[in-house]
Amino acid sequence: MNFVFPNELHVTWTVMIVLYPYITGLVAGAFIVSSLYHVFGCEELKPISRFSLASAFVFLLFATMPLLMHLGHAERAFNIMLTPHFTSAMAGFGYIYSTYTILVALEIWFVMRSDLIRRTRDSGFLPWICKVIVLFNYRDTPETRNADHRIAKVLAGVGIPLACLLHGYVGFLFGSIKANPWWATPLMFVIFIFSAIVSGISVLIFHYFIVSKINRWKVDGPCVRSLAQYLWAFMIVAVALEGMELLSIIYEQTEATDVLSLLIRTKLFWSYVVLQFFICSLVPFFMLGITSLFKLSDRIAFKMIWVSSCLLLAQVLLMRWNVVIGGQLLSKSLRGFTSYMPGIWEKEGLITAGVILTLPFVILYVFHCIVSLFPDAEKESLPTHGV
Amino acid sequence: MNIRPDYRHAYPVLAMLIALVTVGLTVRYLLVPETFGEYGYYRAAAMDDEKAIQPRHVGRAACLECHDDIAAIHAKDVHSSVECETCHGIGDKHVKDSSSPMSPADTREDCLVCHRQMDSRPGSFPQVDLEKHYKFVGVKDPSIACVKCHSGHEPLYLSKDLHSARLHPLIQQCNSCHIGRTDETLKKPDMHPKIFQCDYCHADLAKSFAKGSHAKVSCTACHLFIKDNAFSGRIVRNTNPKFCLLCHQKSAFKETAGKDNAAPPVIDWPAHITDVSADTPDPKRPCVECHQDQIHALYTKEAHHAM
Amino acid sequence: MPCNDISRRTVIKQIAVGATGTLLLSLFPRLSFGNGESSGKTKNAAGKRPLYAYAVDTSRCIGCCACMRGCRAENDVPKDRYRTWVERYRVLSNGEVQVDVAANDQFVFQDPPPADITKAFFVPKLCNHCEKSVCSQVCPIGASYETPEGVVLVDTKRCVGCGYCVQACPYGCRFIHPETHMASKCTLCYHRITRGLLPACVQSCPKGARMFGDLHDPLSHLSIFMKQRRYRVLKPEMGTKPKCYYVDLDIEVI
Repeated sequence: MNFVFPNELHVTWTVMIVLYPYITGLVAGAFIVSSLYHVFGCEELKPISRFSLASAFVFLLFATMPLLMHLGHAERAFNIMLTPHFTSAMAGFGYIYSTYTILVALEIWFVMRSDLIRRTRDSGFLPWICKVIVLFNYRDTPETRNADHRIAKVLAGVGIPLACLLHGYVGFLFGSIKANPWWATPLMFVIFIFSAIVSGISVLIFHYFIVSKINRWKVDGPCVRSLAQYLWAFMIVAVALEGMELLSIIYEQTEATDVLSLLIRTKLFWSYVVLQFFICSLVPFFMLGITSLFKLSDRIAFKMIWVSSCLLLAQVLLMRWNVVIGGQLLSKSLRGFTSYMPGIWEKEGLITAGVILTLPFVILYVFHCIVSLFPDAEKESLPTHGV
Repeated sequence: MNIRPDYRHAYPVLAMLIALVTVGLTVRYLLVPETFGEYGYYRAAAMDDEKAIQPRHVGRAACLECHDDIAAIHAKDVHSSVECETCHGIGDKHVKDSSSPMSPADTREDCLVCHRQMDSRPGSFPQVDLEKHYKFVGVKDPSIACVKCHSGHEPLYLSKDLHSARLHPLIQQCNSCHIGRTDETLKKPDMHPKIFQCDYCHADLAKSFAKGSHAKVSCTACHLFIKDNAFSGRIVRNTNPKFCLLCHQKSAFKETAGKDNAAPPVIDWPAHITDVSADTPDPKRPCVECHQDQIHALYTKEAHHAM
Repeated sequence: MPCNDISRRTVIKQIAVGATGTLLLSLFPRLSFGNGESSGKTKNAAGKRPLYAYAVDTSRCIGCCACMRGCRAENDVPKDRYRTWVERYRVLSNGEVQVDVAANDQFVFQDPPPADITKAFFVPKLCNHCEKSVCSQVCPIGASYETPEGVVLVDTKRCVGCGYCVQACPYGCRFIHPETHMASKCTLCYHRITRGLLPACVQSCPKGARMFGDLHDPLSHLSIFMKQRRYRVLKPEMGTKPKCYYVDLDIEVI
């Protein structure tokens, strides 16, 4: 045992490729939360509707960062726009990504146009930026607002399938690699979309609580509880699908079953079985179940929801790790495993990963300085700075 | 709720979008490589890039231009299927500048990459277990290179003086019968004279040998027959004392039981040599110098064919 | 501003027409997909475009790894990466299968622990130059391709090094070159075979365990060999239709 094809000793897709589906997942999830309000009219989500839309946009801006860090020739990245080879699942990325980015940018523009115009009346650098953003057109009437609202709604509606496409294609990309038994399952596409929604809702809850704590805002109870219920529902579907994938691997007893079970029992035991399944899935499942089904005081319920969101953020990250790295640990010889541990300082190492994961929050703060993401909360409390 | 939407502020946005798409598509049209799509969804000129790489293995024909003497020897022997560059390394530099050295391929490891005994190698392929081989031929220096005895170009010969071993006339004379004759008898193996049995020609030797103590040992155990090619071969007499000791030392082979299935007499080596010639003990002295009679009588004139 | 509006509309309309035209042009940028039959550059003795293929007679391989040394010397293959390699299989009497490669600088197999061997053999591996190569299929930019002669190559001026092809190859034949940061693989010595030379590994093999030839030439060494011998390919279930044919392949070989 343990024979690895000699070229497979080196893991090609590093922690950067773990981050990429993670970040696009955050985008897709956050966007869907914003669409729940903008398209489907879930009024209780209004307090975080802008925040979620802005989060989606900011994460979207950074979705390509890990890819560019990973590419051997990032300077040739635009080849994917020049000659997209549509027999490849990856080929559509350039166009889907840019279309979706433009769409989200436009939606934000139309949703926040009134606020941007209001901001231009101040003096300073940021208001000047607002002037550029609104294209020096300061007309803000009920008629224009009506138009903005209508356009934003259409864009949000179109954005949902695009979000699923952008993120689903990542799942499809893995699920369609027939050479790798750990990846090759049609379920991968669906699992990625549901886990994306889970991570998106989680990051919003996680961040919303922190922002509220820093700014001493009152957390909007119905909004958070509603989010928690959505989170519970989506996480059940996501985990059930992952369980089904595992079950089908075990039940089908193909030639790869033995080596896959060995992979799970050895190389992925901690990250997959213990952390992803038992700690980061079962614990939030029970905690969110309790907060959804029983009437708890806000203080306890909020703590449980926040802890669950943290655990689910970790769960989805672990899931990406276990898929991306786990699949590469397994040799296509089906006779053994290689090892991988990201370096700390290297180009595709942990520091880079940390920076890529932190920067969106910084940009989100800048965003907030230009246009408030929590207008309602700010009205209620004394305006303070900081997200 | 009867507010008519006013879309005019969105027009510049739309115009910008259209401009972006137009510029993008134009840029794309201009930047797609010239030969892209000539044969398929790829840049056809990429094949020319690949073709432009210069080969580094020059091939046997290039070596032969200067080293035709070695090539002629090499072509006759079993290593003829081995390309020069497989042992000596790539020759691109050497062909351009003969002072650029090639690997002499004379270390033991050079030979052992192919000939080291390994259980995964096909059984028909000659493989060497160094320990056994050294013991068999009596090599004392375990770091000795294979090429000290074997020539890489004609490995079936043992090199040096063994080259000058006499040509055995037997195979050389095949042509005298097999060319130009159409007798039916030539097509029947059973009718062939038993010339491959040593006693067919060396009857008197065989007679004396059969009386001696080594009667059960085959002739070719000591007289190595080495085939040159289809038409000639050489006979080498193995006179290395270690060769005799393979049977006559304590660790005798089972199969070498002598007359009446008694084990061959064991010689206490090297004490034996000091015992019998205390004045000038020479461990290289062939056993047959003293023991010839115990094996068989020496060559007689009558049996000695002309070469 | 009704007047203004009309003129703006006209402008938009013109832009739209222009954009549509450019869009259509751009979607087919100078693409005229030839069938390759007449356009292929190299011709074989019969005057036809060759179709190169490869065969391995595993029973002849002695595991000397001359092919690996030859390939490395010919193609500057970086350390610890392999365009071709030789696998050693040892089937023990208890059913255990031990597989290893000579993955060291000298390409010499290490002495294995002594064991009760039922059978043992070597299997050379290299890019299968599949007829339906997944690696070319999944390349998002058309930088991995199949030449008209059936050789799968990488465009070293366009590859972005995303590594998708490395993941997609079922045979583990591709790698990201640590210095050029691009996908790299066996080219079947395209620079040699188009000059009428043999691939370096075929030339280096002392036992003729590796064979190369043109399937479109019925008299080529390979065509004749394949008419005479029974062969199979690696992982046929992948549907990649490999053009590297194996004679005497054991069931343990994946």
